Amino acid sequence: MVIDEEQVMACAMTAMHSVGSARLGGLLMRNSPSQVWKMLGLQDDELLARMEVALERGRIGVTYVGHPSYPVALSADPARPTVLFYQGSLEHLAHRRVAVIGTRGATASGRYMASHLGYDLTLNGVSVVSGLARGIDAWAHRGVMVAGSRHQHIAPPVAVVASGLDVVYPRDNLELWKWVAHEGVVLSESPPGTAPEAFRFPLRNRILAALSEVVVVVESRETGGSMITVEEAMKRDITVMAVPGSPRNSSSAGSNLLLQQGCAPVVSVDDVLVALGLDHRRCHPHVYDSRPHPSGFDLQVVEAIGREALTLDQVMVRLGSELVPTAVALGRLESHGWLVNNTGWWEVLGQLPGEGYGGSDAGMLPLTGANDR
Amino acid sequence: MAFALVRSASLLGIHGEPVDVEVHMGVGLPGFTVVGQPDESCRESRDRVRAALLSSNLPWPNRRVTINLSMRSSVKRGGSGIDLAIAVGLLVVQEIVPQEAIDSFAFLAELGLDGSLRAVPGLVPLVAAIDDRQVVVADAAHREAAVVSGERVRAAGSLAHVVECLTGTTEWSSCSCLADAVASGDVVDLADVRGQRAARRALEIAAAGAHHLLLVGPPGAGKSMLARRMPGIMPPLTPEQSLESTVVHSAAHVPLPAGGCVVWPPFRAPHHSVSLTAMVGGGTSSLRPGEISLATNGVLFLDELGEFAPSVLDALRQPLEEGAVRVARARHSVELPARFLLVAATNPCPCGEGTPGICVCDDRMRLRYFRRFSGPLLDRFDLRVAVTRPDVGDLLDPSPAESSAAVAERVLRARAASMSRNGVPNSALAGELLDRFAPLSTDATQLLRTQLERGVLSGRGFHRIRRVARTVADLAGNPEMVEAEHVAAALALRVQIRPVVHQW
Repeated sequence: MVIDEEQVMACAMTAMHSVGSARLGGLLMRNSPSQVWKMLGLQDDELLARMEVALERGRIGVTYVGHPSYPVALSADPARPTVLFYQGSLEHLAHRRVAVIGTRGATASGRYMASHLGYDLTLNGVSVVSGLARGIDAWAHRGVMVAGSRHQHIAPPVAVVASGLDVVYPRDNLELWKWVAHEGVVLSESPPGTAPEAFRFPLRNRILAALSEVVVVVESRETGGSMITVEEAMKRDITVMAVPGSPRNSSSAGSNLLLQQGCAPVVSVDDVLVALGLDHRRCHPHVYDSRPHPSGFDLQVVEAIGREALTLDQVMVRLGSELVPTAVALGRLESHGWLVNNTGWWEVLGQLPGEGYGGSDAGMLPLTGANDR
Repeated sequence: MAFALVRSASLLGIHGEPVDVEVHMGVGLPGFTVVGQPDESCRESRDRVRAALLSSNLPWPNRRVTINLSMRSSVKRGGSGIDLAIAVGLLVVQEIVPQEAIDSFAFLAELGLDGSLRAVPGLVPLVAAIDDRQVVVADAAHREAAVVSGERVRAAGSLAHVVECLTGTTEWSSCSCLADAVASGDVVDLADVRGQRAARRALEIAAAGAHHLLLVGPPGAGKSMLARRMPGIMPPLTPEQSLESTVVHSAAHVPLPAGGCVVWPPFRAPHHSVSLTAMVGGGTSSLRPGEISLATNGVLFLDELGEFAPSVLDALRQPLEEGAVRVARARHSVELPARFLLVAATNPCPCGEGTPGICVCDDRMRLRYFRRFSGPLLDRFDLRVAVTRPDVGDLLDPSPAESSAAVAERVLRARAASMSRNGVPNSALAGELLDRFAPLSTDATQLLRTQLERGVLSGRGFHRIRRVARTVADLAGNPEMVEAEHVAAALALRVQIRPVVHQW
């Protein structure tokens, strides 16, 4: 990635408090960054040198309004970022794009939905746009990552983050971040070194919305950050869709509210593909759920848990059963991949028996791993 | 006669040791010196003894008085229990009481300024330390002192009373105590607990196999309520355990129950602000037993486990392993018993709710919350159970739940089975003996193999699961083979406690 002086200057000017983003945007429409630099009488060689090092070290590219590489998707946006930083290649923005967003505190079923949507969308040539936050955001991209590890051709992932591109936040997504930057593109309007301050996240959400053709909310609380993205999307007339959740689950309160307000529901990747006008028949036929179908008491246990999260005690109370048979059933269902236990609460993973996800060949994505008992 | 020798005793940890109090009165400027490494409370004796003598219309020697405390070990000695011995010694040197009259007595009481006798900590081990003499104690302490050997204990109300008895003008106080009926009225019953099917079973298994238990659940779920019912279903104390617990309670100056001896498993629930010393023991010069020793043969309940200081929690690890704690200070060290059943309760996450979808904490917050507990400590809980608030239906259910007595009966039977087979409770079974005492059926082996292969069970967890499964089988009346269903129950009652965050 070659960085010229113009780009370094554009970068330095975003880092200056004395130059506002709107004013800079206006000036850059007609002038090159170096001309603007001169016009404003700026003199800060130290900052220029520092930014050049940061850009090179972080392999960060810079584009700005008026520059030929500035993404078309954003150039017509009323609140477009004046200067845009990226890791990866901007060419990856050429695909169809769908945002998959949601809460940081997701339930097992939310994580399942996010990762499966990510997996299926990317295999259908649709780029998954997300914010690399904890929870749903990360799980959507993890689904894409699994697809990438299994298939040759996937649509490149796109991430929009709030911090500077050399400040990875949250740290636990470092690996995922690197992978997205390698396979697709990570975007930010903050210059290198910017900390993930709280006010930057709503601003990030507007870029996320502006880049997407459809926004899918997997799980969101009524006051969650995803609702800001939804608002930004609605301002721009972008289709918002939501995954229905249990009414007893407060992490689905926001997404259920969206459904009540008339958003289209997403129960399978087909719904998103239809909204994009893509031929969903291209999608793989429904695959056979490889998990052994539960029967008898096991089936009762799965149905008793349903879409909720129950403790061993609650399962026993609901079924009026004794400890030993209940424990045997739970253990068997867990090893067959139907249930997952998180700090004592049991949740059904994936679709309930008899429900079809309508997905692809994803089967069971590796959702459980080494847990120390 | 200007010299007197009076027997008393001094306390270190939970052991008493006889002390010979030598009193010498000679010519010289009036003065009073205590030598022989007296501790702080012992040096204060002088003022208490003087006031008590004068209040009792007994003379204070205006001569030079030297007191020497002599005992075999070289530790600091004292405690206010030596007061009475010093006072009696002063009376002997002033020839108010003959030396022969006190040769068959030892004296263990603190003096009040009005001449009254007061109880001192640790009377049970102190009396036990003096095996060949009659022991004079305060009236108020008669019952506690009589626990070891009632016939040797003599009680009096005041210094004047002691003098009268020694000179043969009055009788010692009669023993008004030793109600042999064992009151258990304040023991709470499991029948009061609504719902909580899984937790009740976990309690039963914990009691039967002496497995440590962690209850995870939101506030108001009844974690403390359940824990308080633990002693009621545990096997009653054996005579040896009862004596051991009584000695510890006495040494720590914790009031003994009405019957004199501790006969029910003790229940200790220190607040989470407890200091390391209060938890483990030490502090005073006599090294007072801490909460873990007081909980010996009973239950140590730590509510809000995450709020305890990490140093306090980590200090529990060695006693949990060895059943005893060695408290060492610069001059002396003691070994105190610490064989307790640990029951702890914690919220599942910072918001307290825990239930996925209702809890508002993100994965990171929940993970950070559980970082407060060290892995080795969490690992020592054989049983880890999620507890939730009971459903409305359970709360309103008029039929009483199973009573503690019914559960205790099963527990007793299972414990007896395991003791006659292993000689120890199942939780203490050594790893190498598991194959002998807890053989797995083919299905059970297969189940454990899958768990190990899936990586959900570590090597340490493997042994713990086998011990719990052993107890489940004992409770089910299966003293030989451990079946797959017992293993499944053990697995379901030991939930993975750290939140699943990155699942691949």
